[in-house]
Amino acid sequence: MGYDYPPPIHFSSRISPVIVGIFLFIGSEIMLFGSFFTVYFFDRVVNHTHPWPPPPYERPVFVAGVNTLILVTSSFTMHWATQSIKRGNRAGLQAGMVLTFLLGLTFLLTQVIEYHRIGFNTSDTSFAATFFGLTGLHGCHVFVGLTILLAMTIRSFRGHFSPEHHHGIEVGGIYWHFVDVMWIIVYTTVYLL
Amino acid sequence: MTTPAHEDTHVDHTDVPEHGVYVPPSGWHRWTYPGWLRVIWATPLFGALGLGLVVLLRWAASWDPIWKWSSIATVELTAVPLGFLVGLGGFDYWARYCSGKPTLPEDHSRHGARSWRDYFRINTDHKVIGVQYVVTTMTFFVIGGFLALLFRAELAHPGDQYFNPQTFNALVTDHASLMIFLVIIPAFAGLGNFVIPLMIGAADMAFPRLNALSYWLLPIAGIMLLVGLAIPGGGPSAGWTCYAPLCQHQPLGDVFFNMAVQWAGASSIMTALNFLVTIITMRAPGMTFWRMPLLVWANFTTSMLVVLATPFIAGSQFFVMFDRVMHTNFFEAGNGGYVIGYQHIFWFYSHPAVYIMILPGFGIISEVVAVMSRKPIFGYRLMALSLLAILVLGFSVWAHHMFVAGMAGWLRVPIMVTTLLIAVPTGIKVFSWLATLWEGRIHFTTSMLFAVGFIFCFVIGGLSGIWLGAVPIDIQANQSYYIVAHIHYVLFGGSVFTIFAGIYYWYPKMTGRMYNERLGQLHFWLTFIGFNLTFFPMHYIGLQGMPRRVADYANRFGGINEFISIASFGLGASTLIFLYNMIWSWAHGPAAPNNPWRGLGIEWQVSSPPPIFNFEEVPQVVGSPYEYGVPGARHVIFGAPQPEPVPAD
Amino acid sequence: MRHRASFLQLALIAVGSAVVLIVVAYAVPWLPYPASREAGRINFVFWYAEWVSIFIFAIVAAPLVYSLWAFRVKENDLSDGPPTHGHTGLEILWTAIPFLLVTSIAIASAIVLAKNGRAGTDPLRITVTGQQFAWTFTYPNGQTYPVLRMPVDRHVKLTLTSKDVLHSFWIPELYQKQDAVPGLPTHLVVSPTRTGVYPVVCVELCGLGHSIMRSQAIVMSQNDYDAWYSGATKAASKPAPGGAAGGLAVFNGNGCGACHTFSAAHSTGKVGPDLDKLKQEAAGAHQPLDAFIRQSIVDPNAYIAPGYQKGVMPPTFAQTIPGPKLDQLVQYLASNAK
Repeated sequence: MGYDYPPPIHFSSRISPVIVGIFLFIGSEIMLFGSFFTVYFFDRVVNHTHPWPPPPYERPVFVAGVNTLILVTSSFTMHWATQSIKRGNRAGLQAGMVLTFLLGLTFLLTQVIEYHRIGFNTSDTSFAATFFGLTGLHGCHVFVGLTILLAMTIRSFRGHFSPEHHHGIEVGGIYWHFVDVMWIIVYTTVYLL
Repeated sequence: MTTPAHEDTHVDHTDVPEHGVYVPPSGWHRWTYPGWLRVIWATPLFGALGLGLVVLLRWAASWDPIWKWSSIATVELTAVPLGFLVGLGGFDYWARYCSGKPTLPEDHSRHGARSWRDYFRINTDHKVIGVQYVVTTMTFFVIGGFLALLFRAELAHPGDQYFNPQTFNALVTDHASLMIFLVIIPAFAGLGNFVIPLMIGAADMAFPRLNALSYWLLPIAGIMLLVGLAIPGGGPSAGWTCYAPLCQHQPLGDVFFNMAVQWAGASSIMTALNFLVTIITMRAPGMTFWRMPLLVWANFTTSMLVVLATPFIAGSQFFVMFDRVMHTNFFEAGNGGYVIGYQHIFWFYSHPAVYIMILPGFGIISEVVAVMSRKPIFGYRLMALSLLAILVLGFSVWAHHMFVAGMAGWLRVPIMVTTLLIAVPTGIKVFSWLATLWEGRIHFTTSMLFAVGFIFCFVIGGLSGIWLGAVPIDIQANQSYYIVAHIHYVLFGGSVFTIFAGIYYWYPKMTGRMYNERLGQLHFWLTFIGFNLTFFPMHYIGLQGMPRRVADYANRFGGINEFISIASFGLGASTLIFLYNMIWSWAHGPAAPNNPWRGLGIEWQVSSPPPIFNFEEVPQVVGSPYEYGVPGARHVIFGAPQPEPVPAD
Repeated sequence: MRHRASFLQLALIAVGSAVVLIVVAYAVPWLPYPASREAGRINFVFWYAEWVSIFIFAIVAAPLVYSLWAFRVKENDLSDGPPTHGHTGLEILWTAIPFLLVTSIAIASAIVLAKNGRAGTDPLRITVTGQQFAWTFTYPNGQTYPVLRMPVDRHVKLTLTSKDVLHSFWIPELYQKQDAVPGLPTHLVVSPTRTGVYPVVCVELCGLGHSIMRSQAIVMSQNDYDAWYSGATKAASKPAPGGAAGGLAVFNGNGCGACHTFSAAHSTGKVGPDLDKLKQEAAGAHQPLDAFIRQSIVDPNAYIAPGYQKGVMPPTFAQTIPGPKLDQLVQYLASNAK
């Protein structure tokens, strides 16, 4: 019954559905981080918890700061990868993707090592809860981002993507930039304030 | 054919002479092909992997005890459903995509449903998914209602007769959780899924594979909640609100609640993303935002609420799970935690949740009232704007659930103001529907009866909401049976009535059959009377001093409770008529015409049920969807030459 | 068949529904008789909202009922109604009037809320402690009692707290309610105006014993209250034989009297077994009295008296009552058991 194939899609917006979709999804991700920032606000500010961090805990501000630079650099390499494929430069795309992935992996591994050396665990007061909560949530997003980057890297080495068709790179890039910007906010809140 | 403004995301059928042809698997391939056979081994495999991961990690880190059930449950409640979804085939396409294999041409040959089997697999057709949703949610409606009848039997007399307090609390918790997360929110998702692409002239949703996956998350969440009831130690028993710190100190069954909420929330967000992208980017030419049917407007605003608010309940459940499983101190008062923080985070979602549970209903009522009164919706633009106003204001009122929670006293006044103000856009809608009815030609079909019953009950529920918005009244009424009355007037007399209205209205379109009108009318009257007899007296006992969520109460409330329990059994029985009508008519009802209600909407211009790909060519929208009373007015025409795509307003 | 709208009929339906609602509103005693100043003010807001609601309901019912009756058509009637798209004036009206009505409710409520929060210059200060599953009340004399006693016509400022999970303190006849939050003291002002005995209930789900977590608020004349208070304070300051004063303090401080009857402590709780019958119960459990009492406190689920249920008495007293105090309590109960 019915027709054999769907009619051609009519697009009622100049923006591609996939791009609208990823931006809306990032909206929901921002709200998820928002809930973690909210509990941090309640546990530290509304609860008048002084001093913060409570002694004897300390935050590895410097290492995390270096990590921040690594992650920001990875956003630049991601941007380079995207621009490369838009101009048809496949080598640039592949190099950019590999660099982005490696920088992201470095970031994640550094965070894991810091967790081991940090000197407090999850049950040490609400300070630890919010510390691990915010950085852990971000770490999970880095993990997901790395998975996406890996898939896109594999695809770029297997001949996919062209100057006309590169939504995968764009969407992956948008997600990765989100992860990067969110880290700057997390870093400022958790390590600096 | 129009030139797309950007890349086409599917292969143009004129280039590829033949599509992928489906060859059923044979031999041992049947066990590796996505489907139920693969589920049989993939699910326990993932379960074993999850268990192994936890046990190995705990052994390697020398954490004691190694078999910590709360940790194991948390991981298993993620791994086992994942295994199920992998087995069923929800991720196959993306796995192939990520591995970089060459893109296959799209195979449309298995799209849609030709037999009952097609409803029990991963199916990307929005019409099939819509039916899957509606049938699943109605099943959980019956189960959740049955749980209510169990505790209403207990409540008929003071004292404990049938259930111990643990079971009673679990029944109350699961009743509410099922009704909210597994019935009302997804029923609207299902009706929307079926109707929206048809209404906007699209062949399907923007992301059909995501759509298919989002459905299957739902039975996972429901089964999780029900299995939680049977867990040794006790089921989820901290209420659907699961307040800290009670929630962290509950039996293991509460973890099942926490995780079920996450699965249901994920399903909800995926569907909302799909709705938003579809409505924004796939409307037929000529359908500007101001020519969209109000159901589409309603689902658009609802989906914005879902996408922005649902992550907050996910966060709240993460925090209580972390507090329980990893002994964090987000909400532990002794260790720097702030107890009331849970309530703020929880209600920041759960208040918009109530708008998620009613706005699509408003859209359905607008459709039904316009068609059944043969009149345009009165004040269409203001109706659309009022939906947007509720969207925005809905985020500003969450703390009215916390007027006596012990939060900062000054916060109560601004929250009271925003709470009372949100009655204004809601009132606008009620008055518009009344003005639409005025001087119309009213046909009392079952869907119209439910629409009118909705207006009556929702006005009562809304008025009791205004009372609760006034803080002094709330101080007396909060957490008493007055709240139970208010909740049910807006959620049952409100949302469920609109769901019934929608099901009866679109039943011919979805099934291709007409339901039995007399049984429908009987269902309405028994439900309406049973509902009011059950829930109206609760206003009284609440104000008089009966708390909610209690199995035992002061003797003087015994008589009224007995009356309510008997009425509730009548209400439960009325649902049987609905079920019988729906099932029998689907099998044996008379064939439905394309347009039994003589509607102008695009969904009524195609066959009942619609063709598998909805349209042969994209329709052309030429006017408003509600131009009743204007001779010759059309909302849509087919086969006209198409102009360039009109950018969205 | 077109029907000319009759505004007289509309008005009749509106007035009719209003009359029905007014009868329902006044004939049913919706609220308990207000027994405090705060209740009196809340009552005012309630009735104001009631009148606004009757008005709104009437103007909704009138066109609804009228339309359903006057404009209904048979199934075979295929005509459409007039294509009325809207009326800007009407739409402005039904936006502005509800706006003004809800604003007036907000203003009235804000004023009442502010007044209800004022405790005056010299309130009686009592601390209310919620725990699973009892309420206890600590007075300025430092003593804790299972029942709330207040003098009439005096402001009472309650400070609420919880020992474990969230509870919510409600005296329905006094129309005042507030959550008891662990780690965060909350406040409530009550100014009783009528003597009487009023039930106190818990209205925040707090576990298995939530439905039975009840107490009483006894409002007495000022003289009766003074008599009770001075008597109770004297009794507390006198050293009682055998350290019983210490034992009584532990008994009261942990809310035992809220659930148990024990004549020596003047408590009449009916939720748990009668402690006056302790000797019998110990015999029934085949245990010596002291050991039986101790086990019943620190491990309540080990032996359940016939007719009672597992899991209601909190199993946490072993952690929350320090050793020496527990000894005092056991001795107190054993020496006063019948």
